[in-house]
Amino acid sequence: MQKVAVIGAGKMGAMHAKAYAAMPNAELVAICDPRLDAAEELARTNSTRSFERIEQALREVDPTVVDICTPTPTHIDYIKTAAAAGKHICCEKPLARSISQAMEAARLCEEAGVTLFVAHVLRWFPEYRRLRDLIAGGVIGETVEVRTTRCGKARPGVDHWFSNLQMSGGVVLDLMIHEFDWLRSCYGSVRRVYGKGLYNSHIPDIDYALVTLKFDSGVIAHVEGSWARPSGFVTSVEVAGTEGLLHFRNTESKALTIERKHKGGECSEDITPPNMAVVDPYNQELEHFIGCLDAGITPDVTPEDAIEAVRICEAALRSITTGEPVTLA
Amino acid sequence: MNPVKIGMMSFAHMHAYSYAACLKQLGDVEFVGVADEDKKRADEVGKQLGVKAFATYEDMLATDVQGVIVCSENVNHRRHVVVAAQHGKHVMCEKPLSVTNEDAEAMIEVCKRANVKLQTAFPCRFHPAFINLKKAVKAGDLGKILAIKGTNQGQCPFGWFVDTKLSGGGAVIDHTVHVTDLMRCLTGAEPVRVYAEIGNRMFGKDFDDTGLLTIDFSDGMFATLDASWSRPKSFPTWGNVKMEVTGTDGTAEMDMFNQKIDAFYDNSMSYRQEYWGDSIDLGLVRSFVESVGEDKPVQITGDDGAKALSVALAAYQSAKTGKPVDLTS
Repeated sequence: MQKVAVIGAGKMGAMHAKAYAAMPNAELVAICDPRLDAAEELARTNSTRSFERIEQALREVDPTVVDICTPTPTHIDYIKTAAAAGKHICCEKPLARSISQAMEAARLCEEAGVTLFVAHVLRWFPEYRRLRDLIAGGVIGETVEVRTTRCGKARPGVDHWFSNLQMSGGVVLDLMIHEFDWLRSCYGSVRRVYGKGLYNSHIPDIDYALVTLKFDSGVIAHVEGSWARPSGFVTSVEVAGTEGLLHFRNTESKALTIERKHKGGECSEDITPPNMAVVDPYNQELEHFIGCLDAGITPDVTPEDAIEAVRICEAALRSITTGEPVTLA
Repeated sequence: MNPVKIGMMSFAHMHAYSYAACLKQLGDVEFVGVADEDKKRADEVGKQLGVKAFATYEDMLATDVQGVIVCSENVNHRRHVVVAAQHGKHVMCEKPLSVTNEDAEAMIEVCKRANVKLQTAFPCRFHPAFINLKKAVKAGDLGKILAIKGTNQGQCPFGWFVDTKLSGGGAVIDHTVHVTDLMRCLTGAEPVRVYAEIGNRMFGKDFDDTGLLTIDFSDGMFATLDASWSRPKSFPTWGNVKMEVTGTDGTAEMDMFNQKIDAFYDNSMSYRQEYWGDSIDLGLVRSFVESVGEDKPVQITGDDGAKALSVALAAYQSAKTGKPVDLTS
């Protein structure tokens, strides 16, 4: 039985806490957040204890696993603390704000002999799994070009930390890292990165980027990320191969739409429940992580995978800043 | 809980292969084996699934198997359900429950007297889109339900499905029952009157391939249902299950198998849709296994199967006479 302490009582912390609370082979033993109110509320929802600081939780409830769902720049310090205490770690993506921090995090975990898993959850989304299986099955021959989209509006986060691009890394490090990791899981290592974006434009609550990747295998990929879309969330993938084409767009794949009249008004509201799937990708991801810990095997996202995803992000941000392509060693 | 012992009777209906895969996937099941009047098919399936192939149904039913899944040709359902019940085994029967109302009533009666459960295989009830639609309707989000427009259009399965001596009918008996069951389940109302135009002009053979049903319900709601094998061979997927619901306070659109990837294959010069949504068969089989294992009532009864069947049979009668058929008389 793994005993899990979730650090960070925000949106992702709540999702991870709920998943652990429902898992037969894990016990949610603590929620930590310097905003003690938030920690207390989330702990109450999941019938567990709350703490202001991770050190208190480590001392009092002795978890075997620390799950870090805090703002990106704080990941490295929590990883240091957890690794030093000999705890296995699940860290929300991105692993760290910079490549040097990411490498340090992986080194510390290796030296401490603890498992480091980074929650690149897109690998567990059924549509992306199906796409990857189809691609691997060779039904469209060899992949030539891929185009992906991930567009929504900016999330505020605590103290608007997402909009502080120095903290969050903007859409590149927070959104597009999903596709960077998924594409690596399909096509291997990236050779060259070129990007355009609003990273240095400082427009409040807006970020947008278009990034081109060239893989060692010859595949080229176009990756779009946006926090400029006023409503709705759009994801899409198009894979062009030598013998066919695969295309997916979430807005064209809806199984249910429910619209309700506003009482007395003329407008309507869309009340379709989000996340209807019986098989929840977040649960699958964390069940995989806990299952690997129990079995003593390496989870599907390795520290190297997580480092490489941050490396692509950093290259994209450098390219956006300098206007030059960046070649990865 | 001890694993629930389940066996399978006949693989005539292709859904049997999916149910078998579900039995393999569920953790709390002991898949006892398979039996089939087609002995060669039983041996092949047994080898393929790594389970015992019994020489006869009676051999399998003589074991301590607790429940069986019947997937024979429609006309054989009655005979197979009855023999299972006489051996004291719980039964899940593929839809349509039977080919006549008398058969359906007899099957329900035999199972009742033998004190065994009879579940009709209506897997669509387990799709998250329908589960959430039902939740919204129950919560009153759409107000009073006034009308439903449904379709269950598919490609012709051929084989015994088009041999009415074995199937009891063509597209109408095959495709009326799913959506009729969803309409009953969604509203709690019962069909009271059926009008239908039925044709065979898609293939021009001695089986019906198209049907347009109009159904009045006990609460005043009206519905239409396109129960057809009207999708051409070049259609990108097997077919669809759709409902458009109109209520006093809102509307809902369900397109159960719309969670798909568009796929263009040069090898076959075809466009296909690759489904990635939740498996509905897993929910159905799990529900049956749990009912048997925990000795609780089945979620979908024999009566549910009989009610849906009666609509299909009334449709045939209506098409023959050109007049609506009263179900209550």
